[in-house]
Amino acid sequence: MSDTWIVITVLALATFSIRLGGVLLGQKLPVSGPWARGLNALPGCLIIALVSVLVFSGGQDEWIASVVALAAALLTRNLPLTMAAGILCVFLLRQW
Amino acid sequence: MTTNNASPVKQQSPAQEFFSATRDIAPLALGVIIYGLAFGLLAAQAGMDGLQVGAMGTLVFGGASQILAVERLVAGAGAFAAVIAAIAINLRMLLVTASIRDVFKGRPVWQLLLGAHMTTDENWALMLATRANGRDVGYWYLVGGGACLFVTWLLSTTLGVVFAQAIPEPKALGMDFAFTAAFIAIARSLWRGKPDRLPWLVAVGTVAACLLTGLLDSSWSLLLGGCCGAVVAGLQTDE
Repeated sequence: MSDTWIVITVLALATFSIRLGGVLLGQKLPVSGPWARGLNALPGCLIIALVSVLVFSGGQDEWIASVVALAAALLTRNLPLTMAAGILCVFLLRQW
Repeated sequence: MTTNNASPVKQQSPAQEFFSATRDIAPLALGVIIYGLAFGLLAAQAGMDGLQVGAMGTLVFGGASQILAVERLVAGAGAFAAVIAAIAINLRMLLVTASIRDVFKGRPVWQLLLGAHMTTDENWALMLATRANGRDVGYWYLVGGGACLFVTWLLSTTLGVVFAQAIPEPKALGMDFAFTAAFIAIARSLWRGKPDRLPWLVAVGTVAACLLTGLLDSSWSLLLGGCCGAVVAGLQTDE
């Protein structure tokens, strides 16, 4: 199946270029001013955008489980506990 | 380890940082196992063998993009469409690696190449969350977490494709929600208070507007949302 090998090769080259491109771009941008403020805020903005995509792509079960996971995160600040609470909630909701 | 009695700042050696990351990332690695098995199932449907799955995991090392590419192949979209969709989902990695530039600052070239390839959403976010909780971690913490995920990803995807028949559907166990919950916990750790309020609101609002109206698909909505939030943060002057 040659299509598969083409996809693997091209995707590997492109993905590595993207990752390395970010590393090099980060070294080039200024260390203060608007660019630096934007870059400092970027991780949080990307994570919250990722969470939004995941939540908005889900159904009612995922919405409810996200609220439960957020409550667990606010109360415990603990990663494994938050994951367990979210997974358990989604599992139970899907049983009904 | 050398004994240094005149160092007030508790600095970890590269090895200590590396292995503390492999411990801290364990819950996320558990999520990666489930994700990897699911990818193996899909790869089996696409007629891929263990070698192809191993090569793809080693060279691409990007779960979401691999799943998307193979799903497109299974759907009969062709190699070109599969690659374009997968590249679109990986464009965010440009922002991810750019956003931790202090980690790469002044490093030799081989460490830049290694660090770039070992950066994924999970170990990047874990490193940021660990920093937000007050621990001074950097390059080797990132690479340690990445190496752990790399081994986990290769093992679970290869097992998934070889034992495709014997694996239960992860959705039935609620395990597909593992990363959503993980990223909610990490977002909570990254919250810096007032200066984040408007940028985060803009990021969420942009994603909601693009996704719920069907204007953009999820990978472009994510990129645009993250960028719009960062631009608003850059333009904010009252700090």
